[in-house]
Amino acid sequence: MAGRSRVGAWLARSTVIIGLAVFTFLAVVPLLWMLLSSFMQQQALTATPPDFAPASFTLDNYVQVFSSAAALGRGFLNSFIVALFTTAVALAIGAPAAYALARLSVPGANPILMMILATQMFPGIVIVIPLFIVMSRLDLIDTQLVLIIVYLSFNLPIVIWILRGFFLAIPPGLERAAAVDGATVAQVFRLIVLPISVAPLFATAVFAFIESWNEFFFALILTRQSAQTAPLVISQFAGQYQTVFGQMMAAATLAIAPVVLLAVIFRNRIMQGFADGMVKG
Amino acid sequence: MQRPVREAGPSGPAGEVSALGTLEQRRRRIGLAALAPTLLVLLLILAYPIVDSMLLSLASVNVAGTGFARHFIGIDNYLALAGDRVFRQALWSSVYFTLLEVVLVIVLALLVALLLVHPFGRAGFFRIVLIVPWAIAPVANAVLWKWILHANYGILNSVLLQLGIIERNIVWLGTGSRALHVLLLVDVWKSVPFIAILFLAGLSKIPTILYRAARLDGANAWQQFWHVTLPSLRPTIAVAVILQTLWALRIFDLIYVLTKGGPAGGTVLLNYLAYRTTFNDLDLGYGAAIANVIFAMSFALALAYVWLLKPGLQQARA
Amino acid sequence: MADVELQAVAKTFGKVAVCKGVDLRVEDGEFVTLLGPSGCGKTTTLNLIAGLEDATEGDIRIGGQRVNHLTPFERDVAMVFQNYALYPHMTVAENIGFTLRLRRMGRTEIARRVSAVAESLELGPVLERLPAQLSGGQQQRVALGRAIVREPRVFLFDEPFSNLDAGLRLKMRAEVKELHQRLRVTSIFVTHDQEEALSLSDRIAVMRDGRIEQYGTPADIYTRPVSRYVARFIGSPPLDFLPGKIATEEQRTVFRMGALAVPIDVRTVGELGNSPLELGVRPEHVILGAEGAPVTVRLVQPVGPATFVTVAWEGGSVVARVPGMASLVPGARLHVSVDPRHVMLFDAASGRRLSI
Repeated sequence: MAGRSRVGAWLARSTVIIGLAVFTFLAVVPLLWMLLSSFMQQQALTATPPDFAPASFTLDNYVQVFSSAAALGRGFLNSFIVALFTTAVALAIGAPAAYALARLSVPGANPILMMILATQMFPGIVIVIPLFIVMSRLDLIDTQLVLIIVYLSFNLPIVIWILRGFFLAIPPGLERAAAVDGATVAQVFRLIVLPISVAPLFATAVFAFIESWNEFFFALILTRQSAQTAPLVISQFAGQYQTVFGQMMAAATLAIAPVVLLAVIFRNRIMQGFADGMVKG
Repeated sequence: MQRPVREAGPSGPAGEVSALGTLEQRRRRIGLAALAPTLLVLLLILAYPIVDSMLLSLASVNVAGTGFARHFIGIDNYLALAGDRVFRQALWSSVYFTLLEVVLVIVLALLVALLLVHPFGRAGFFRIVLIVPWAIAPVANAVLWKWILHANYGILNSVLLQLGIIERNIVWLGTGSRALHVLLLVDVWKSVPFIAILFLAGLSKIPTILYRAARLDGANAWQQFWHVTLPSLRPTIAVAVILQTLWALRIFDLIYVLTKGGPAGGTVLLNYLAYRTTFNDLDLGYGAAIANVIFAMSFALALAYVWLLKPGLQQARA
Repeated sequence: MADVELQAVAKTFGKVAVCKGVDLRVEDGEFVTLLGPSGCGKTTTLNLIAGLEDATEGDIRIGGQRVNHLTPFERDVAMVFQNYALYPHMTVAENIGFTLRLRRMGRTEIARRVSAVAESLELGPVLERLPAQLSGGQQQRVALGRAIVREPRVFLFDEPFSNLDAGLRLKMRAEVKELHQRLRVTSIFVTHDQEEALSLSDRIAVMRDGRIEQYGTPADIYTRPVSRYVARFIGSPPLDFLPGKIATEEQRTVFRMGALAVPIDVRTVGELGNSPLELGVRPEHVILGAEGAPVTVRLVQPVGPATFVTVAWEGGSVVARVPGMASLVPGARLHVSVDPRHVMLFDAASGRRLSI
């Protein structure tokens, strides 16, 4: 009996190790390849098999990407400004709303919440046409502003949903004590609730920032040249007929670097936010 | 400490009188005020376009100069959809794609999550590995795989050639059917991490006591999984199914970068079809009709999602 | 003047009526406890007095002034909460001084008052610490300090000691009692612990199902409970109720419960009617010895200063309190009798105690 269970245990352990190895391999290798090939010369990459000699490696791709019509630089700037401002607005409007929905006994809170949740669920194509028409009339096409506004359509619900989950967990006694102490509702929010919510606020901001940075569809439809975001620039790199693959990868690497960095730094908070917001506990 | 003398009167301790109401009344009022900007924004950016999109779908729209001229035609667009072979093909492809993707993603994500709760998988390293694919822009992902899958120079073909698994370069995106399945695998690769994170959260909420009780009752690892893990995870799996289905319906970046719907329309899914009809064919009314079909499907799923989460929607009683 | 008066106060949440008509009057400087099990409405009543919730019906007056429409701050009340509710991101000094800061008091004045209160509660050394760095007892004292510094008309306590362990509870109880003797501020205290209520209060309001069942001094409640509910709630271990019949034996009127009989004075018993009766007697008035009904010892539970002995006869059993650590064993045969001066008769159907 003991012998069988020992073999069984060994089998189980090896399966896990193999599984973890396969998982890591499949998850990491494509990204490693992206990084690697971004440092390789075109002829090294187009050789069969690819030439991994030290001479094949270069920084040239990055140099080219940076200098090519400053498109990537502008794309970065646009992505940054749009993501920053839409996140800021989403927080400024969404945090009080989340608090109201969580704590302030708003009549009809549940239907409102359900509607907000439901808005997360459909693709941008459903709203982009009328938005395009309106924004054209307002002469806002190809501006950072139009993206900042339109991105609120998904940022605001995200902010509300995650923060509401957190605000629900704050002990009601704290707000009562503050009320008895003489704080107005606004003061309770500003002096008590917000200071203890710094971590989730930050995590939510990071989450919204990442989603805004990565957004492609609205950017494709609503911008032309001057307000292009980073994802758009990358797609153009890939759409060229004569593709310098290393540059394509360099552009992609640069475009995802800030966001990946943020995600890795805040991974625990982000994963916690998913859990609280989306999983029934 | 001396007891201060207090006069009876309608003033608070600091002497101010306020007629703004009781605490409950003020909280409710301010709650509405705090909610108002959000509702306004969502009304303008979401509600109005959704309604207008439905109106558009009931019209034939011409792009005239710098404006748009609409002619009301009732449900003609939808009737046309029913008989449109391209639409039906896209619908079928989308359903097929979605079904397959959901099954693959759920199963793989569950495996990954189980691996990561095992003592060996607890290391933070694995969680970093998990979050990176989620964080990269779908466009970047598409571009990366465009490179990996490149027929002549892509690393996939090189490796397979070197290993002797294939004799000639495979044009991965060469035929409609193959391209569809390749897109499927690429999107599965991108989607598994997030769902795995969801499952990790769900798994962490299962009380370990249940496992201990099961072990005491003599259950082995498989039985524990079947009788403790899976049932406890059922709500999370349900949520994951709905979320993944919704995301499958929204696939765009991959198609746009990798195949543009080809070859031979084999990778035209509903969302992309709506885009192409609207912005390439400039048939706004028809495109809106397709978009509304997607909306209807998504909304039904969203309702299911909300219904599943309902107990969490009750506010905590103060 | 800070008397508190509730008239026909009711509170309904949706379809559930939690308070169904509460009438209460607390005199200025009195310490009154709202006592009852969970769900009886005592916390809701307190919240209504505080203004944290709005009454559906009825009037609430503080100092003669109707306060239904005022916020808690405007009512000039202070509250000590069950889970302390200390602001986790503020130091002890900031916690205590928060209310003064909201009143825009000058910084030096705030500091003066805060340190005065802190000194009186022995919190001087921890003024700059965060709540998480304090012990349970210290946290509760900070909560007290926050209420004291307000110099309010009324103190409200919402089961403040439920989360403390036994020793700390007793200590805090003593501090609150001492505080009340010192400050003489009208205080309303909510608890489900009858011992706490007895030791702290000038008067106790025993609540049941959204209404006040009895309102009186601890002595009143203990010796003259108005119903079985009240009698059973007060006193530990709880009162025993023995069903039985009135009978005349040897020219005396007795209440017979199987083998046990207690002589009763008919004059102290009111209208009997035909309904079944029960006798209630506290363990300290049950006498074990050589006289009375023959019984067998069933259970022996020593608690230190006394031992609670359960004795049984055919058709009944009762708990007796024996001083000291009694050396009785289950199965032993004794006799039991009851001090007739301290028995209570209850109508079994309505639960009311019978008396003039």
